[in-house]
Amino acid sequence: MPVITIDKKYLFRLLGSGTDEKMLKEHAAKLGFEIESTSDKELLLEVTPNRLDLLDAVGLARAIKNFTHRSSSFNYSIAKETEPAFTITVHPSVKRVFPFIAGVVAEGLDLGEAELLDLINFAEKFCGTYGRNRRKIAIGMHNIDAMKPPLTYRCGSDGKFVHLGSTEARLYSEILDSTKQGEAYSGIVRRGKVCHYPELMDSEGTIAFIPIINSERTKITVNTKNMFVDITGTSEYAVNKSADLMAAIFMDMGGRVRRVKVDYGAHQVYTPELQERYISVPLRRMESEIGVQIGFNNVISLANKMGYEAALVGRNIRFRVPEYRLDVIGEQDIVEDIAIGYGYDYIRPIPIAYTQQGGLEEQTSFARKVGEAMVGLGFSELANSYLTNEDINFDRPGLQRDESAVMLKNPKTEAISMLRTWLLPSILKDLGMSTHDKLPQSAYEIDMVFRLKEGMPSESYSLGGATIDPKRNFNDVKAEIGGLMGALGIAHSVSHYRHPSFIEGRCAEIKVGDVHAGFFGELHPKVLKEFGIEEPGTAFEMELEKLQKAR
Amino acid sequence: MHKYEAMVLKALRAKNHMGFDELVSASGLGRDEALWALESLKQSGMVDIEYGEEELIDISDEGKEYVKDGLAEEQLLRRMLKENIKAAGLQDQKSRIGLQWAKAGGFIHIDAGELKLTEAGKKAAEEGVPEGMLLRRLAKGDYDSKALAQLGQQMHNLSKRKLVAVHSERYINRIGITKKGLDAPEYSDVIEQVDRGVIAGETWKGKEFKRYDVNVGVEGRIPAMRSPIKRIIDQVKDAYVSMGFQEVSGPAIETSFWNFDSLFVPQDHPAREMQDTFYLSKPESAEVESREFVKKIKRAHEKGWHSKWSEDTARQLVLRTHMTSVSARFVYKVIDNIANNREQYSLPVKLFSVGRVFRNEAIDYKHLADLYQMDGIIIGKGLTMANLFDTLTRVYDYMGVEVRFKPSYFPFVEPGAEYQARLKGRDEWIEMGGGGIIREEITGVRRNRLTVLAWGAGVERILLVKDPSLASISELYNNGIGWLRKRRLV
Repeated sequence: MPVITIDKKYLFRLLGSGTDEKMLKEHAAKLGFEIESTSDKELLLEVTPNRLDLLDAVGLARAIKNFTHRSSSFNYSIAKETEPAFTITVHPSVKRVFPFIAGVVAEGLDLGEAELLDLINFAEKFCGTYGRNRRKIAIGMHNIDAMKPPLTYRCGSDGKFVHLGSTEARLYSEILDSTKQGEAYSGIVRRGKVCHYPELMDSEGTIAFIPIINSERTKITVNTKNMFVDITGTSEYAVNKSADLMAAIFMDMGGRVRRVKVDYGAHQVYTPELQERYISVPLRRMESEIGVQIGFNNVISLANKMGYEAALVGRNIRFRVPEYRLDVIGEQDIVEDIAIGYGYDYIRPIPIAYTQQGGLEEQTSFARKVGEAMVGLGFSELANSYLTNEDINFDRPGLQRDESAVMLKNPKTEAISMLRTWLLPSILKDLGMSTHDKLPQSAYEIDMVFRLKEGMPSESYSLGGATIDPKRNFNDVKAEIGGLMGALGIAHSVSHYRHPSFIEGRCAEIKVGDVHAGFFGELHPKVLKEFGIEEPGTAFEMELEKLQKAR
Repeated sequence: MHKYEAMVLKALRAKNHMGFDELVSASGLGRDEALWALESLKQSGMVDIEYGEEELIDISDEGKEYVKDGLAEEQLLRRMLKENIKAAGLQDQKSRIGLQWAKAGGFIHIDAGELKLTEAGKKAAEEGVPEGMLLRRLAKGDYDSKALAQLGQQMHNLSKRKLVAVHSERYINRIGITKKGLDAPEYSDVIEQVDRGVIAGETWKGKEFKRYDVNVGVEGRIPAMRSPIKRIIDQVKDAYVSMGFQEVSGPAIETSFWNFDSLFVPQDHPAREMQDTFYLSKPESAEVESREFVKKIKRAHEKGWHSKWSEDTARQLVLRTHMTSVSARFVYKVIDNIANNREQYSLPVKLFSVGRVFRNEAIDYKHLADLYQMDGIIIGKGLTMANLFDTLTRVYDYMGVEVRFKPSYFPFVEPGAEYQARLKGRDEWIEMGGGGIIREEITGVRRNRLTVLAWGAGVERILLVKDPSLASISELYNNGIGWLRKRRLV
């Protein structure tokens, strides 16, 4: 979940008087996010990834004020007929990288340091989460008074400009290699040997090397009164919706938002669109999904609390979806917001009729019986990771590495590279780490093992067990196998068997009917030593499914 | 300890060393009883026995005859007192032996074929020859077994004549009591270990049972232990079954389709990145079974997320990141069966699954890459969030855990809720899991017909809540025998 840092003083200034930290935390919890105070100056906020409108102090204050009915800002529309501030012409060359752009112009801003930092943090967080680290969306903020519109968005050859924080003009390619931003995001424009250079230009030159870095010329400061925001990305829907969200923030900051015209040639868009959107939901649906009685009177108030303007239309409630809510897709999302407005704490649990009988899967019941017998034989139970590596699974027990293992593509450490094909290596590893504990030691595990069958993964349950005891020999494990099979009521036969983990001549195969079900024997001294064990030991492993079928 | 042994020890305690005969009289035991007790005490290390060697004389059958009748030469000498004997008349074996030895001893001489007694012979005829006297003495046991050599030429002669033979024998020379013997408890008529003899032979009658000091420290015997995780899994399953849920399962190696796409997780969602999810290198991908569902999900994604949906991406195999992949398979199957009248269900259908889920972590003693998760679904008509809260409250109540709910977000449910559990005995809550009503984009069913409640949660966390002594979840995967032996049954 995104975690963001908010300037405490700024937030409380936005909230106005009458809200203290304790109340803020309570409201936040009810809305489904957590606030933690980390210092006198900062709050740490954890929000769910759908609520992009809460990634900044302005949006946060908006939600809290609505929730406590202390203000109701529902209207983020701007008049359709107003002229766009300027035009961005999109060149078809950008199709290969970041094909879409939206713009927002905000005038008459009064930026303090807190406001500026909050905006920058928001853009960073937004691009990091919803923007998938700028691979989907990137945002650039510019001082419009230092710009010379109209703008062109194109993808050209390597160009040159004075980037943010620099004093001299540098090549884009150089920027990719020499700046922090270049290092972090060059992967988006560099595709193998080919490198794309999407650039946003005004009549004086580059104002942004998209999605890497802006120009020094158009950088925003506390003195910036009028701002232009470019939002570029891989989805037209996403860039346009993001422009709406930015617009709402500027409006709540007291700015006057103006549109820009985006000219794709084939079609034109005016952003921010800020289209009014309505979703109607029957009251009955809300009540029957949440499981509470709400009533027509109450539901309008709950809607307002959650930032929706709402009206009764017939038996339905018509909700106006706030322009900044990118996550509201359909009726269900509104139902959830009404539930949150109502308060999860007030939803009284209601039992469902329990008529059917429940039951366990057969393999669970069988595994429980086997486990009971194993504990009765004095074996303690282990629960090991399914993940292992070839050294533990094959090399140490003396096996040849074979092709039957299911291999992982992207493990972070060498400790894991595959799914285990059998249980004994895990068990022996555990016993090898328990050598300082009193002997004898017996341990078993019942869980899954993985192998490829005809190229596709096959999963099955296995039973493995081992005993380390100075007085152990083959007959001890044979006695245990006999006792276990007897307890399970499975007729079995044994015959001589060769297995690299066991001493030759002290290893046997277990068969149920004609079917190979497993093996047991006295562990080879070399194998014991490989696992750090210096006392004699016996072990066995059986396929649980084969035993289950034999009953 | 046997009574005889106790009596021997008692005698020895009075005087640290003694011979066997002395012990016999001091202990009041018979020789055989004493010998038996000594042997047993020696075995248990309570006495030391020092053995000696002695030489004993055996008298042959011929010798025994001579003891009764006198030596052959003595018999001859005695006859000569009564009659005159010619050498030629001595034909029998014994007489000839007598003649030979009497001559050799200088008791007779032969005068013109007639035997005559010498002076020594006269005396010997009365008193016996020296060898005969010695033989009779030896027969009475009147000799020093350590000084047979002193018996001289006569003894030598007796041996040569095979009338006697010498053999050596071990004897108990000296008995000492050891430290252990000194420390052994004094004997009384008290039963220590109850054994078969005590019970079957009723030898306890009239005796006392030894009393144990119940305060004496005894090293505990450790039972074989189930894994704490596996035990809590059993409890979770029992909780669901008790509420009428049927257990189901599904593959741990899953297509991205069932793990992500079917649950409305956008294809560019960070959770799907290699950073967080294990992908397989062998094999890399697999077909998605149901064409129809693929189409439905493609439509939902493209409409909901406004971006292209790739089936190749959906085919990639992953290690499932949640048990909800199993739930998704069953939601689809059950709804599809109902919609096509393929199978009759009595609603609501209640299913649960418990299994391993995976996260691409750099593993160490604190970080695990696979943990258990449980997942549940209820498919029915008119199901509500209030029903979900009730179900979860009951499941956790079965395990003695209190839960509470708060709003949260998961791509596949709306409304969604997170639930938290109270740490036992504290006013601290930790996140357990989440749930809600599955989006109709996934179920493809209008709400007025069917609603699906779904939820999922970590299993190990339940133990963390119940057992405040646990430092972390990873401790549960210690798997050391010593650690396991110290576990409480929570």
